[in-house]
Parts: sequence; structure tokens; C-alpha cells
Amino acid sequence: MVSYLTRKEIEVKLPRPTRVKNKTAAPIQITAEQILREARKLQEAEIRPRPRQKITDPAELADYRLRKRYEYEVRRARLNKSAWVKYAKWEASQKDFNRARSVWERALDVDYGDHAMWLKYADFEMKNKFVNHARNVWNRAVTLLPRVDQLWYKYIHMEEILGNVGGARQIFERWMSWEPGQRAWLSYIKFELRYDEIERARAIFERLVVCQPKVSAWIRFAKFEVKNGEIGRARGCYERAIDKFAADEEEAETLFVAFAEFEEKCRETERARCIYKFALDHIPRGQAEHLYRMFVGFEKRHGDREGIEDAIVGRTTFQYEYEEVDAVIIFVGARRGGKSVSKADFNFGFWYGDPEAAISSW
Amino acid sequence: MADEGRVHPDCRNAGNPYHECSEYCFRIIANAKKQMSTNETGAPSPGVTQATDSCVQPNPVASVDQGKNPEDEIHEFEDHQNVDNENGVEENVEEDFTKLTGKKKKLFELRLKMNEARKANQTAMVAEKKRMEAPQESRGISKQKWLDGRKKKIGKILDANGLDMAKAYMLDTQQMAEGKYKKWEKEPAPFGWDVFNEKALYDAYKKRTKNIEVDVEEYNKLKEADPEFYREASSLQYGKAPKISEDKIDKMVKELKDRDEKRKSFSRRRKFHDEKDIDSINDRNEHFNKKIERAFGRYTLEIKNNLERGTALPD
Repeated sequence: MVSYLTRKEIEVKLPRPTRVKNKTAAPIQITAEQILREARKLQEAEIRPRPRQKITDPAELADYRLRKRYEYEVRRARLNKSAWVKYAKWEASQKDFNRARSVWERALDVDYGDHAMWLKYADFEMKNKFVNHARNVWNRAVTLLPRVDQLWYKYIHMEEILGNVGGARQIFERWMSWEPGQRAWLSYIKFELRYDEIERARAIFERLVVCQPKVSAWIRFAKFEVKNGEIGRARGCYERAIDKFAADEEEAETLFVAFAEFEEKCRETERARCIYKFALDHIPRGQAEHLYRMFVGFEKRHGDREGIEDAIVGRTTFQYEYEEVDAVIIFVGARRGGKSVSKADFNFGFWYGDPEAAISSW
Repeated sequence: MADEGRVHPDCRNAGNPYHECSEYCFRIIANAKKQMSTNETGAPSPGVTQATDSCVQPNPVASVDQGKNPEDEIHEFEDHQNVDNENGVEENVEEDFTKLTGKKKKLFELRLKMNEARKANQTAMVAEKKRMEAPQESRGISKQKWLDGRKKKIGKILDANGLDMAKAYMLDTQQMAEGKYKKWEKEPAPFGWDVFNEKALYDAYKKRTKNIEVDVEEYNKLKEADPEFYREASSLQYGKAPKISEDKIDKMVKELKDRDEKRKSFSRRRKFHDEKDIDSINDRNEHFNKKIERAFGRYTLEIKNNLERGTALPD
């Protein structure tokens, strides 16, 4: 006889929700933070330590490796770079270098443009002392990604530390044929200077100023010559630079300042003064702030009283002119009955606190 | 200080202002005098130099170290006694040296150790004293003294103007002030991938080149051996790799490992504040909260404070 459960038996009697009568806060409150703390404590500890197997014989080792490899091959996503790297590093740790290489190659297959992957691959070869393999890797990396400076730097450093200076030089030459940034050239020059090859360094500087026709390159060239005591050549550099940059106004300012400082160091104060004056004439007022400051400093050091005064007045003139004076010109023009006013009319004694003299001159 | 106890001028602790000579001191002085006299007649023995050393050394150090601790003194006392004996039986010692057996050998070794320890103590004391006091100026005025002198001068001017040291900047001229402001204007540190900008890569490479040891001889040898030493980019020499010695390869590996170490210290582990409120139920949750705090913390600060307070402020 089958007896079904009747509705009456299934029915669960819940108490009717009553209305809240007492709305004051309960005497013992709990904060959200306390709830969180308790929740955290109740978290079960992560299952640690995981069960560790002790591998006793080669068969077990082979099994373990097989299992690990299978996991890696199945579980890594193609695009998950870090999974690839982990796999390759694990194979390297198992001293299975051919498999490791195959993993690296497949990883690079996914994305050859990832320079970090190339770096890690080459690092793996170098750390395990496979020098020729490393060379191959570097060569490929540098051919595929010639604009990534890191690869070049590290390749050259490897050759240099292995003592293969000629090889390092050849790589530098390859790099320079790509016309990289100024710092790359500088590292080449420093490399030659490390081995005291001053003539070659000079030749490289010549190429640099052609490749990167910037004032900073010329200034570095001149400073290099000064360091080697070749004052005549340094002067020649500055003069050539000025020829090239006569038209360009922005950069020329730094060049003039550097040139004048150089002449000052050589104790040629007349030449320095000429350079400053020439520069001040040729550079529009807007960009010559730094130049004025240096000129005033120079005159204070080497000039006579008049020179210093001229320089300072000139500079203050420049400051006031550049900053506010147009309105004043109009005002003075009006006071003088519409006659035109030139800058020579301004007696700057007024600005310097001698109003009587200024007014009487008007 | 000198009135409190009589201090024999020859006492080795005479330099110590707190020292009072006692019977023990007089005994030692007497022994030292005896050795001085034997020194003139007999061959100098190591014991004498020890004695004179110990006579001279405590004086400069005495002000720091208030006399040797009793242990040391007892050792020295024994030393002096032994030295006396040795002096008397010098030739016997020479003979016994080779046939020192058991106890005598042990005694000899102990004495050596004691001497070593004493010397080490002495040098440590002297070094500590040096550290505590200012070093003597080797040439010119030391930086410390110059700074002190300057502080005094500034102090005088400040007093004249009624300022105090904290307001010392009021004395700067406008140019000096501008110079100081310039130091504050720093370019913002590179962020994200910009950390690998051209300048940073160059600087890193420059640092690594400091590890390269330039061997001029080897360089010249290579120059002679290789006809294409200054080769062009397209030279076919590229394929021919020269024989590299093992130690160079090891050097390369070592340098790489050093670089790895340096890289590890690039970001440090932050301190765990356990007094801070917990707002997470999990470690993953905590990590996530840290990240969003970093991103949105500034903007949600007001909201958070309002929630904590329970009501928003009428702004």
C-alpha cells in the first residue's frame, strides 16, 4: 500500500512575522569589520603542505617528468607567455636542454616580437654556458628586432665580457648602420675609449655629428677633444658647429653658451666676449634669457666696471622690455603730446629709484 | 681627582682619572722596572715589548675604558710573572720549545691566545675611541669643523636680527633661495614601460661596463693575432667565433647571476600592518582591495569617511 504524503503533513508552520516594537539600537553592536574578521578566521587554511613525493629511482623520475610535461603541454594557453616561460625554465632545471630549446622556439613562434622572451632565451643559453648557441640567439634577435636597444646592449656586453673585442666591435658597427639614438653612439665611443683607441673614437664622433645633427652631439665632441687636450680641434668643432647652426635659433643658444664657456676656460676672454656679443645680436630676445644670465656672470668675473654695468643694464632692459613695457610706451607717448617715443628716451634712473632725475629729463 | 688617591706616575693606568694605585700597581711597576734593567743587559725578549706596550697603550684609552676589568689585569699580572720567569730562564725556553710536552705546550698555546686576545681588545678599544671622538684633521679643516664654524657665524647674525636657528633660511639671498628651489624641481620618475627609456637603458649598460676588466696585454695580443681586428659590419669574420677560455665564461655567468640578485631587490616587500582594519574575507580579496585602493583611494576617501561616521557632512 502506497501512502503519499498529504498536504497537511508536508506543510511547515512558520511563525507569522510580527511587527518590530522596539526600534532602539541593541545594547551589543557588531561592526562590519568584526564580521569580516570572523569570516577570515573561519576560512579554512589552504591545504598545505601539499603531498610531497620522494622520487627514488630513474623510472619514477621519468614518470614524474612525463606527467609534468603533459600537464604543461595541455594546460598552457598559447598566448600565455608566462606559462611558456615556466615550462622552459622547468625543462632547463631538469637539465634537458634540447627540450628546453624546443620550448623556447615554440614560444617565440607564438610572438617573435616579444623582446623579453628573446632576452630570457638568450639568458638561458648564457647561464648554461652554451656560448655559440647564445650567439645564434642574439644574432636572430638583433636581426628581427633591430630597434630594441636592450638586445644590442646585452649582446655587445656578452661579447666584451668574453674578451671577443673584435666581435663586439663588429656588432657595434652593425648597430650603427641602423643609425640609433645618440646614447647608442656614445656607448660605442666609450667602448673604444676603454681600449684607448682615440683615433677611432674621433672617427665615430665625426659619424655621429653627421647622423645626429644636434647641438648636443657637437658639444660632446668638443668636450671629448678638450678631455684629450686638443684645444685646437675643440675650437674647430665649435666653429664648424656654429656654421651649421647659424640659421637655427633655438639650439644655437646652448651652442654659443658652451663655446663661450670653453673660451673662458682657455682664458681667452676677448674671444669669449666677442662670442657673447655676437650671440646676443643674433638671437631673438625671446630665447636669450639663459644667454644673458651667463653673459652677466662672465662680465662679473672678467670685465671692468663699465662692462659689468652695460651687461646688467642691458639685461634689465631686456627683462623690462620683454615683460611689460609696451603699455608704458603708449602712456609716455600720450604725455608727450603724441610725439613718438623711442627706447632711448627712457631714463632707467626712474626705475632705479631716482624719480627727480627722470622727470627732469622729460 | 688627583687628590682622591695617589697615582704613581709610572703606573700604567696613570692616565685614567679614576684610578688609584694600590699594592698590585706597585708590584707591577717594580716588575716593569726590573725588566727595563734586564732589557739593557740581556737580549730583548718578547715579554718586554709586551710589558712596554701594555705600559704605553692604556693611557690614551683610559678615558674611555675605566681601567681594565679585573680579569684582564689578572692575566697581565700572570703574564708579567711568567715573563719574569722566562727572562731568567731564556735559554731553557729555547731548548724546551721543540720538546714542549703536554702541559707546557698547552700553557704556551694558552699564552699565545691570551696575547692575541689582548691585542685584539686593545685595537678594538682604540678604534672605538677614534670613532667617538672626531678624527684629527689630516689637511686643512675637516668638514665637521667647517660646518660648526659656519653655524656659529650664522648663529651670531641670527641673534643680531632676533631670529632663531629654525629660521636660518631668512638669511638667504634671493639667488641662494633660487638655487635651493632648483633642487626641488625634479623630473617625474618614469612610470610603467617608460622605465626602459633610452636614458635608463644606457645608464644600466654603463653600470654593467664597470665590471669589464680591460686587459691591455691581452688586447694587444688579440690585435696582432687578428688581421681584421677593426672589422666592418659585414665582415665574414662574424661566423668564426674565437676560442673563449673557461674562466671568461665563468665570469660571464657570475655577472649574470649578480644581475639577477640586483633585479630581485628592485621591489621590496611591504610591511604588514596588522593593526589596520580588515576589509576582506580572503587573501585574494585583500590583494584586490589593495589594488583598488591604489586606483580609487583618493576619490572615495570622502565617501568612506561619511560611511564611517554614519552621516554625510553638509557640504
